Amino acid sequence: MAAAAAQHLSGHDAIAARYRDVDPVYGETRDIRLLGFVFFLLSDCILFSSFIFAYVYLRISAPAWPPFLGGHQLPWFDTSFAAMNSIVLFGSGVTMHFALENWKHLNKAKFNGWLIATIVLGIGFLLGQAHEYSVVGISWTGTTMGASFFTLTGMHGFHVFAGVCYLTILGLQANRGTYTGSKYFGLTAGTLYWHFVDVIWVFLFFLFYIW
Amino acid sequence: MQAGTSTTHEAHDAHDHIHPPPEGFVRKYVFSLDHKVIGFQYFFTGLLIMFIAGSFAELVRLQLTDPNGAIMSHTAYNEMFSMHGTAMVWLVLIPLVTGALGNFVMPLQIGARDVAFPWLNMASFWILPVAALILFSSMLWGGPHAGWTEYPPISLADGTAGALWCLAIFTIGISSTMTGLNFMVTIMKMRAPGMTWTRMPLFIWATFATALMNMVATVALSVAVGALFLEHVFSVPFFDPARGGSVVLYQHMFWFYSHPAVYIFIIPAFGVVSEVLPTFARKPIFGYKMIAFSSMAISILAFTVWMHHMFPSGIAPWLQLPFMILTYAIGIPTGIKIFSWMATIWGGRIHFTSSMLYALGFLITFTFGGLSGIFLASVPVDLHMHGTVFVVGHFHYVVAGGAVMGFLAAVPYWYPKATGRMLNERLAQLGFWLFFIGLNGTFLPMHWLGLEGMPRRTATYAGFAKAFPDAVFWNQFETAFSFLMAAAIGLLAFNVIWSLRHGTLAGINPWGARTLEWTISSPPPYYNFKKIPQVFDRPYNFDQPLPYRNTDNELDEFPEFGRVLMPIPQPVGAGA
Ligand code: HEM
Ligand SMILES: [Cu+2]
Repeated sequence: MAAAAAQHLSGHDAIAARYRDVDPVYGETRDIRLLGFVFFLLSDCILFSSFIFAYVYLRISAPAWPPFLGGHQLPWFDTSFAAMNSIVLFGSGVTMHFALENWKHLNKAKFNGWLIATIVLGIGFLLGQAHEYSVVGISWTGTTMGASFFTLTGMHGFHVFAGVCYLTILGLQANRGTYTGSKYFGLTAGTLYWHFVDVIWVFLFFLFYIW
Repeated sequence: MQAGTSTTHEAHDAHDHIHPPPEGFVRKYVFSLDHKVIGFQYFFTGLLIMFIAGSFAELVRLQLTDPNGAIMSHTAYNEMFSMHGTAMVWLVLIPLVTGALGNFVMPLQIGARDVAFPWLNMASFWILPVAALILFSSMLWGGPHAGWTEYPPISLADGTAGALWCLAIFTIGISSTMTGLNFMVTIMKMRAPGMTWTRMPLFIWATFATALMNMVATVALSVAVGALFLEHVFSVPFFDPARGGSVVLYQHMFWFYSHPAVYIFIIPAFGVVSEVLPTFARKPIFGYKMIAFSSMAISILAFTVWMHHMFPSGIAPWLQLPFMILTYAIGIPTGIKIFSWMATIWGGRIHFTSSMLYALGFLITFTFGGLSGIFLASVPVDLHMHGTVFVVGHFHYVVAGGAVMGFLAAVPYWYPKATGRMLNERLAQLGFWLFFIGLNGTFLPMHWLGLEGMPRRTATYAGFAKAFPDAVFWNQFETAFSFLMAAAIGLLAFNVIWSLRHGTLAGINPWGARTLEWTISSPPPYYNFKKIPQVFDRPYNFDQPLPYRNTDNELDEFPEFGRVLMPIPQPVGAGA
């Protein structure tokens, strides 16, 4: 019996050995946080996808698009302005990338420079959006077009705004010594988040300005 | 870790990092980070709301004893069934099966000291009472009237109450998403060394599949009710057809979540049954891999069948056929499980404890409900049956006879682990018979009433009763039996509280079960495991030694089953 049991266990010793010295609860904190953050982004992605689904559904089932309001067909969006504004946002993704790389290479001055550039570009994008909202000529509550446009871009704008605040906090933390050259999970998360917001904008830009 | 508190538990290796237990009532029992305490909080909150939502159901049943409506107006009736469904789905079932069971059992079964993000876990729980307050406060404004689904355009007439409904569901949805995320990460990253995926207990597989759906699908619900909220409050046109919106869009978004949601509450029950049956049949589970695989298959297929709720809603005919076939397809993994469970108990030494009775009852009622689901999956049948009480019969067999039954099997099973004392067995068995008979008596007649065309969600049915005079008798019959179910739940609550003081002491492993939670004392200490155990095999091989090393307690490998009703007294918390 005992021999049989030993036989039974021996096949798994390799795995047991691999885990022997790992504290499974508190030893993997960074891993755990990263996975949690990726899942958060995934659920956020579903938030946007669901609203995008609603927009596409409303649009293809509508008799005319842009829809009519009071007998007038609504205006189209200003694609060239939005394209400029998109470049501002994508540019901020690039600067954020450089910021993180410089942090990894312990170049704090350059990190600060790139991070500030990112924040400035982010604010620039928000100002561009504000301008867009003021001239677009449709309203949130008027038609399904306005409902989808303002809800989706508004949600995205809110994400950018939250991102600007988040990056500011990260910058302050970094300069107060919260992170080191090997422990900088917060900065990774912030970068991931910022790239995520960029990618969402690609879809929104295509769906509202190109389609 | 403060120097002063580190003496409250034994000394450990430096890398063990056992956090000291919190001190003070609030930190311990109110804003606790301990997954076990959070599990209890979910349990008692869920049970409390179950009483409220259950009494709404009894009012609905009383109304239907008379075809002209016995006790209330049409609007009050609409409010009652809407509140009943909403509260039961989001504030009772999901919190009980994921929040209470998942929180208490899951970290113990994977050999972890807590979930991945304890703080998030606490926040998820505290959202529940807030959402409950919002939902019940909507009754001050007349409450929702369009059922638990709140379809526009009817729900758009609910005004403030409708907006509050949306807000409540939105908040509780966020809590579900956070719990799902937390559990996913916990199961993926924090299993004990050696517990590979195919060595996980089946309840863990079930929790994992549930967490996946919770994380992915719930956001879609939040969007649906969020958009409805915007429409209520700011009159943003998403759904109002008069302004270019689409009511069918709401149904798509709602059911894209809510079909997976029905599996969110049934799959944990599957997990419970997969634990209870082998333990009390003293046999290895049959088809471990198939059961695990089918849980995952269900959680993925669940996203592909939502339109079976919308066959009569004017969706394109070319869409109906694939959704009918996919709906049939989801019956396959479900059937695999049923057969595996039957093969598990086949030829076993069955011990009819109360949780085993509930698990066996589950097999009967859940299978029945699954079969009526297959009926409804057929488009021509559904066009006839949709909107009748047949659908009500179907989903109560799977929800009450499946999810609630599985939950009720879990309570006597894990109660000894949670409290250190056994639940009173005689009361629990009496509760089972009340529940089982009450359930069948309440919901079986709905099948033939539905076939005859009795509409659901109507306060009166005088016209139908004229055509089918029997209907009055059957409705009164249902009402009478529904009180047996209510009595069973009342009995359970009494038993849970009574046994806290008077139950016999349970000891470490009263059932001779083999998953990891049964290797630590009952109730478990704050940090669960003094030493993190090593796992060498899956837990169900009753003919082999326990596949663990480095456990806190040496276990009797072949315990005498006679202990169940007369456990060997043992000081509570021994070994802690
Ligand atoms: C074999 C598996 C199943 C199949 C084929 C199936 C099929 C269906 C179909 C076609 C409907 C739509 C009926 C209609 O509205 O006309 C339905 C309704 C429903 N099912 Fe199932 N079902 C299954 C299992 C389950 C399970 C496991 C649950 C929950 C635990 C469940 C809960 C519900 C609920 C709550 C509704 C009604 C929603 C409402 O209109 O209020 N079903 N089912
Ligand atoms: Cu369904």
